[in-house]
Amino acid sequence: MNIKIKILATGVTLLSGYAMASVALAAGATAIPQPAQICVTCHGMEGEGIEPLGPRLAGLSKDYITTQLQHFQAGVRQNATMMPMAMTLQGDGIAQVASYFSAKPTNDVKPVIRGEQVTFSDDTARLAYQGDWSRGLPACVTCHGPSALGGGLFPRLAGQQASYIKTQLLAWQSGTRKGDVDGMMANVANKLTAAEVDALANYFANLK
Amino acid sequence: MKYSAMLLLAALGSLTVQAQAETDPVQERPDKQAPLPSFPKVADQTYLTPRPLSAIPEGAFGDKVRLGYQLFVNTQQLRDKYVGNELNCANCHMDAGRKANASPLWGAYFAYPAYRKKDNKVSSFEERIQGCFNYSMNGKAPPAGSPELVALSAYAYWLGMGGLMDEANLNDSVPELSDAELVKGGKREDFPLPEILAKAMTVEQRASLPGRGYPEIPKPEQAYSPERGKTVYVAHCQTCHGVDGQGQAIAGVYALPPLWGPQSYNWGAGMHRVNTAAFFIHENMPFGKSMQLTNQQAWDVAAYINSHERPQDPRNKGDVKQAQEKYHNDSDYYGVEVDGKVLGTQAYPIFPKKS
Repeated sequence: MNIKIKILATGVTLLSGYAMASVALAAGATAIPQPAQICVTCHGMEGEGIEPLGPRLAGLSKDYITTQLQHFQAGVRQNATMMPMAMTLQGDGIAQVASYFSAKPTNDVKPVIRGEQVTFSDDTARLAYQGDWSRGLPACVTCHGPSALGGGLFPRLAGQQASYIKTQLLAWQSGTRKGDVDGMMANVANKLTAAEVDALANYFANLK
Repeated sequence: MKYSAMLLLAALGSLTVQAQAETDPVQERPDKQAPLPSFPKVADQTYLTPRPLSAIPEGAFGDKVRLGYQLFVNTQQLRDKYVGNELNCANCHMDAGRKANASPLWGAYFAYPAYRKKDNKVSSFEERIQGCFNYSMNGKAPPAGSPELVALSAYAYWLGMGGLMDEANLNDSVPELSDAELVKGGKREDFPLPEILAKAMTVEQRASLPGRGYPEIPKPEQAYSPERGKTVYVAHCQTCHGVDGQGQAIAGVYALPPLWGPQSYNWGAGMHRVNTAAFFIHENMPFGKSMQLTNQQAWDVAAYINSHERPQDPRNKGDVKQAQEKYHNDSDYYGVEVDGKVLGTQAYPIFPKKS
């Protein structure tokens, strides 16, 4: 029952998505595949993200978007809006959405390679690049890549909305976001203090 | 039919390896990569804590220490010069060589020079690092006394000495050593030390600091098996290291390293041994330790990883069987038939150029 209501609500959003998509098409933008039209209302025509409605999708890998949509469908990643949205994607819908947004352009961030910098005056940058092994915290860039550019199953954090990074770290902590192998990301998130969550969210958001 | 035959062959292969491991002490290999003895982890052990990198002093000596850190973490800056694969030292030495039980540099520094019985030779610390370049990095070692080996030695020395000094409540800066002293390593009677430290521990005690190397784990209950190891790999390893074991590059950097194939360590590297890999994996993987693999899982997955083809053993003079008899048969798959192929016979090139 509840799901039906949500799907109805989704349908309304979908219509407004269509409207925006038509405008963009008239302006000569790339055709948006039908299953992705539902996404643009909150994530933007170019997947650029609309804070606070939806995070940036441009710059995320096809693998990552695919996996996360599957996680929403399976309920291992819980989100009142995204769970029913993901349910609308049937057949090759997920593949179409993932292909479309993963191909969208991102800002060029010059990757800072681990080891270039030895000491950091900024504790947050140090945490991102060297971790804090006294607490069993590895460097974020080990998995998320230089300047957290992301790849494969590891999302790009550079230039992502700070509010979104924060809510995700909190979701990992509370367990409303799962689906990481062996609880790898939950393990990291649970070792972060509230201040570190804020600081890391801002740090990555500003890597543009 | 074919599949079960393959399983049988592989199982026989691992049994053979097990049996040989019992009779052939690995410490006696004429091989600069031969491991120093490993010890089991001791409960509630405290470990040497290196000083933070921000404590590295200004000046020429501090510059060498800093360069050592940079080379250790981003070893790829030496690609095609001394490095022939996609690895960085920090892949296997967690926290840039600072973490206990992840073969920390501070532990190794005071364990060299080490006497090796079989080749009747003493290897200095820089010779040990040269071994890393020749085998683990599938490259060509920098020459003795080169700025790279001095820098890596300086970094290792600074980590170790600062930690020992802190334990003795000596808050001075780490005494500077000449390049010639640095590359020899700290396991010698004439090693320059503050007097308090010289009295606090014997040379032998400093050579086996708690946390040195990878901690030994008990032999597996069942002979290790690549088949079971594959299951472990798929469940716990492939998200980072890839379905094909080839790691994952982001912006050209393999922070999640290839575990076999042309871009990984070669058949002469310490990590190609199932025991060494099992010790490393049990203690340090999955990265961040969100869960603990069992001993059996660690042995099995180490066997799976190390029963794939990789770059040739540089000591091979053209014959795998000969090289196997001389340098292998110690808990490893070199010269062993797996899936119908004798490993080592189709090994990848040594020190290939990247471009």
